[in-house]
Amino acid sequence: MKRGNYVRGALTSVAAVALATLLGFGVTPAQAQKAPVKIGITLPLTGADAEDALLIEHGAMLAIDDANAKGGVDGHKIEVVVYDSGTATAGQYDPAQAATNTKKLVSDPGVVANVGPMMSGEGKAMTPILSEADLATITPSSTNPDITNPDMAAQFKPKGRAIYFRTVTTDAFQGPNMANYMAQNLKIKSVYILDDSGAYGVGIADSFQKQAAKNGIKVLGRDQLNPKEADYTTILTKIKGLNPDALYYGGVAQAGVKLAKQAYDVIPKMIKAGGDGVQGGSFLTGAGFPAVEGWYSTNASPHVVEDPGVQDWVKRFQAKYNQVPDDYSITAYDGTLVVLDAIDRVAKSGKPINRSNVRDAMQTSNVKTLQGQVSFDDNGDIKDRTVSVFQYVHDPKFKDDDIIHQQKYLGVAPQS
Amino acid sequence: MNSWDILLQQIINGVSLGAMYSLLALGFTMVYGIIELINFAHFNVFMVGSFIALWLMQAMGIVGQSTILYGLPLIGVLVLVLVVTMLGAGVLGVAIERVALRPLRGVSGTAPMITTIGLSYIIYNLVLLNVGADTKNFSNPLPNIPWAIGGATLRLREVLLWGVSLVLMMGLHYFVRRTKMGKAMQATAQDQEAARMMGVDVDNVVVITFFLGSALAGAAGLIFGLYYNYTSFVIGYTAGLRAFTAAVLGGIGNIPGAMLGGILIGLIESLGGQYLEVRWTDVIIFSILVLVLVFRPSGLMGRTAPSKS
Repeated sequence: MKRGNYVRGALTSVAAVALATLLGFGVTPAQAQKAPVKIGITLPLTGADAEDALLIEHGAMLAIDDANAKGGVDGHKIEVVVYDSGTATAGQYDPAQAATNTKKLVSDPGVVANVGPMMSGEGKAMTPILSEADLATITPSSTNPDITNPDMAAQFKPKGRAIYFRTVTTDAFQGPNMANYMAQNLKIKSVYILDDSGAYGVGIADSFQKQAAKNGIKVLGRDQLNPKEADYTTILTKIKGLNPDALYYGGVAQAGVKLAKQAYDVIPKMIKAGGDGVQGGSFLTGAGFPAVEGWYSTNASPHVVEDPGVQDWVKRFQAKYNQVPDDYSITAYDGTLVVLDAIDRVAKSGKPINRSNVRDAMQTSNVKTLQGQVSFDDNGDIKDRTVSVFQYVHDPKFKDDDIIHQQKYLGVAPQS
Repeated sequence: MNSWDILLQQIINGVSLGAMYSLLALGFTMVYGIIELINFAHFNVFMVGSFIALWLMQAMGIVGQSTILYGLPLIGVLVLVLVVTMLGAGVLGVAIERVALRPLRGVSGTAPMITTIGLSYIIYNLVLLNVGADTKNFSNPLPNIPWAIGGATLRLREVLLWGVSLVLMMGLHYFVRRTKMGKAMQATAQDQEAARMMGVDVDNVVVITFFLGSALAGAAGLIFGLYYNYTSFVIGYTAGLRAFTAAVLGGIGNIPGAMLGGILIGLIESLGGQYLEVRWTDVIIFSILVLVLVFRPSGLMGRTAPSKS
């Protein structure tokens, strides 16, 4: 599904040139005539993930609009093609739709890089196609480690070169670091683990489980939720009977929202935690207070959205989109900066701006972004491996869906 | 919680689920009993029912779980929402019959059933286009009153669910057994031609059947929302397929069979989740469907299909 071609940038530039000519200003023709460059954005904008996807889309668009407002990247206007990878039948992100979109994306030779996906389930479906086409993508939120794992290169990057860059770290750190946090800071002795059957959910629950066992946390059981199922009281009753210190949920909002609502009735006092799948607007507005109260969550990035240094950016974001950004709006903005910087370096070097050159430039990135300097290892993973821990605590002074103020930042999870 | 408390709690959970499946299964079984048609649009009549209830409560100013009512206002609101939801869903059922199924009456083979699948998708997508794909927070004016039974907890909403289901099923049973229209339904179920010759208005009977079955699905939709505090355009499929299995398990066409089948499926789901794993739920339920079809095709309580003599 094509949500629309953002050709606004190009149109304004044409209008500006026309206007300038009419008024008799001298416009350097070389500046205005440089060919526009296209970037894709692929996100699940339909379904249970839509709210968080929009926060990411807006983060990316802000970076692109900023660049175009300054006359483009080395004089090249940036055009955007947005594809929606959520479908009605899935009710959330749909890997099959993500693959279809990616095929459309690579069939347009004008597209030199992509921002997305949001979900690792999409990423797993996209990477083989991207790899064949040598089209690099940068994800602001997909954390499953398999996709960039060199041992699984045959599956996810058959052409061998890194194609999947990230401005977040992976679940090889997110799950285990949270296990460390729960053992060391929350003094958890036993846990029950659930996942939502998705690529991300199963992966993060697995890595959490391994590290929990290493920390001496007793894993009392592990089960899997069907995200389309309505009733989780059965499993919650079972968990209540086993009486662990905590419940850890690996998964995203579709199952998470229902789990939180029903857990509030069945196991209100138990410690409940999840990864970045329960971190954000979709989970917060879907389950709402009081159900989300007390839930712990993590982000696979440093917590920057409350830094004094980015408050101007936050204000600009809010003014433009009437929405409070979260940390993944920032990683999306940062990821887009990486793409724009790569295009800029290719353009300035005099080489043609094509997929292969842009990919190579992204690999050697060292870009100043909102979260700090961003650079990648050979697999495309970000070198910074910070995992931030949060807890939902209701603050009646702010709106119930204000993702910054309805949760408390607790610090960085201990690295093992 | 000791193991007996857990068993009791899972039975409470299972019967609650089962009561919902029973209400839905009745619609499948009644329509099948009369015109030997599996109505797949029934799934989504249930889903539409939950949205009718949600819109009505929102129109009355009950939003989310923050407006809690007690006593007479609570009863008044619930009865009003129940009646309007059942009427709305019933009318939708009648419209489905009138527009898409009556013209196909007498067409043998699978054409009418395929039509209901098509209709089901039309309703599903119409709702999706109008309300969007995200999960909707359901309005719920019920106070959360728990009673402890040993270590298990019984809540007001469960008691209400059982009560409403029981009253509706008793009402249906009385209607089919004791009233003139009910007897006309039984006659039509046994032999349509003979019933017509005896002066039964078969078209009318079919309309009433669709109305009642769909109204019960609407009631199930309301109960679903109050029980889980959410609704979404996708809720019809999982619940609908299990309810259909319940109808087959009890003996499709057999009204008490559908009630029994629903409760059994609910219990299998909760006890299976407790003593095996929840990821196996669908495997267990649908294995039972296959086993019943292979070894006892007429279901636990026997089929009362129209005779084809």
